[in-house]
Amino acid sequence: MLSLLPQLLVSGIAIGMLYALIALSMTILYRATTVVNFGHGDLVMAGAYMVLIFVINATLPFLPALLLSLAVLFGFGYLLHRAFIWPIISGPHLGLAMMAIAIGYAVRGLVRLEYGSEMTKMPRPFEEQFFFAFNTVMTLDEITFCVVVVVMLAASWFVFARTRFGRIVQAMFQTQRGASLVGIDVRRFNNLIWGAGCALGALGGVMLGLILVLDPDAGVWTLLRGFAAMTLGGFGSLYGAVVGGLVIGVLEKVLGTYVSTAFIDITCYLVIIVVLLVRPRGLFGQHATLRI
Amino acid sequence: MKLTRSVFWLLPLAALALPLLVNPYHQYVINLILVYVVVGVGFNIVVGNLGQLAFSNVAFFGIGAYASAIFTTQLGVPWWLTVVPAGAVGAIAGCAASIPALRGVRLFYLAIMTLAFGELMRWSYIRTPSLTGGSMGLTVPPAELFGQVLESEAQKFYVFLVIVVVVVVAVGRLLESRIGRAFLAIKNDERAAAAMAVPTGRYFVLAFASSGFVVGVGGAMYAALVGHLSPEAFDLVQLILHFAIIMVGGLGSLVGSILGAVLITATPELFRDWPGFEELMFGVVIVLVILFLPRGLASLLAKVHPIFRDRYLRED
Repeated sequence: MLSLLPQLLVSGIAIGMLYALIALSMTILYRATTVVNFGHGDLVMAGAYMVLIFVINATLPFLPALLLSLAVLFGFGYLLHRAFIWPIISGPHLGLAMMAIAIGYAVRGLVRLEYGSEMTKMPRPFEEQFFFAFNTVMTLDEITFCVVVVVMLAASWFVFARTRFGRIVQAMFQTQRGASLVGIDVRRFNNLIWGAGCALGALGGVMLGLILVLDPDAGVWTLLRGFAAMTLGGFGSLYGAVVGGLVIGVLEKVLGTYVSTAFIDITCYLVIIVVLLVRPRGLFGQHATLRI
Repeated sequence: MKLTRSVFWLLPLAALALPLLVNPYHQYVINLILVYVVVGVGFNIVVGNLGQLAFSNVAFFGIGAYASAIFTTQLGVPWWLTVVPAGAVGAIAGCAASIPALRGVRLFYLAIMTLAFGELMRWSYIRTPSLTGGSMGLTVPPAELFGQVLESEAQKFYVFLVIVVVVVVAVGRLLESRIGRAFLAIKNDERAAAAMAVPTGRYFVLAFASSGFVVGVGGAMYAALVGHLSPEAFDLVQLILHFAIIMVGGLGSLVGSILGAVLITATPELFRDWPGFEELMFGVVIVLVILFLPRGLASLLAKVHPIFRDRYLRED
């Protein structure tokens, strides 16, 4: 049984990379605007559906379809924040959360209207191939996940740590009012960040589309895995989101194999509940609870 | 003559005549509205009055429904004797859901956690087929009252109407009492409430438990009404329905919960043939309500006449 472990680690890390990317895109939104996007899962899956639409209905090749769908999701995120989130940003949290949820539901409803509840397969850009090394199998999909996510991580690290844009985002995370006092156009930057976050999430959605059958309800599945990764890593921590995603990917595979297949489904729920009960700040987060 | 709130008693009295006027299908929809009045009233306690982002309501609803159905199928208890136990099981689930809140988990942390709790419950309905029938669902025997089988929708209607009146009056009393004022104090500023010696933890448990109880009762009614429970009935489409009810009606308003249930419940029935349409519509409706009518339709009604104003809510 133990000889399976390297294989489980490899495939766990590969899927964990996707969770990490989704959690990262949510963390970026959260860091910039301190709003948790409860509709993010549906926007992530919308990325995969956009590719489907561009390839099947507009008969584009895969790569242009991918770029177009990322652009569409960027624009969608931008407008979403500008039109719906910004007007109520100073209101109660409940309104913000409900707004994000409601938009997610509307997107899911649109998808369901078009595709019903039937499962759809996203077109593939390349044939599935297998690579063998050190007693483990890796698929070309898994290698793609790892490469793309590592590149995106490096890119976002660079943007956040080394550019003026990144420093502005950091400033906004610390205090939006302070940022606006020193002359940062908070609204515009928030719009951009929402666009970027949605596009990044959509990239994750497209990669998920390689291994999942698409159905409108996949958004919730995605959302909860993203949340589990964020919770485990600590809300607002970029490293935390990545580490959390990888750990959850591996945990799902390991517990699912050695303990019970049920854990493939419920690991993320259990992680959320246990982490918030035992250590609400997660691995790298800060001050998560209210103490009175 | 000055109108007082006692005119509200005319509503259930007038409703007594409803079964004479409608056909069985419409009667079924009206019964469903009564179920969702109970659900909305229960849900609003935690979200509207205590002001917490808790998404566990569908879990309470499912737990209540399955508890009632399991008591009937496994133990042979007649339905009417399962209503209060189903509420009690819901209340226990409510206490469990309040534990993270006691640990200081708030805002979206609480939302995420309760969302995970709800999905975990739905998963467990599927995974315990010996009790719940698994993904095939569980067929509930016809509801009984004092040994009498409630065959027609009209009979169920009268029983449900009694439950609704009891629940609405009881929750109204609760919210107007010291306890309800404590909920509002916590909603407005938890630290300030604690500084005024309001034992916030106790009120958290109380709010979640009473919400769980009321929604659990709603679940038992739902089980009696539909006769067949399936895990898909307790998914996130159900959650958006509950949210739409209280957001459109008015957060924290008893009048609003009732109004929301009356207006919102029937719509999924209308759009049965277009899957996805109800999600789209509820999504759009909630967005519009948040943007343009944050206090819901109840705030409009309150402008029409002061008797529609919830006594415990001060207009600010």
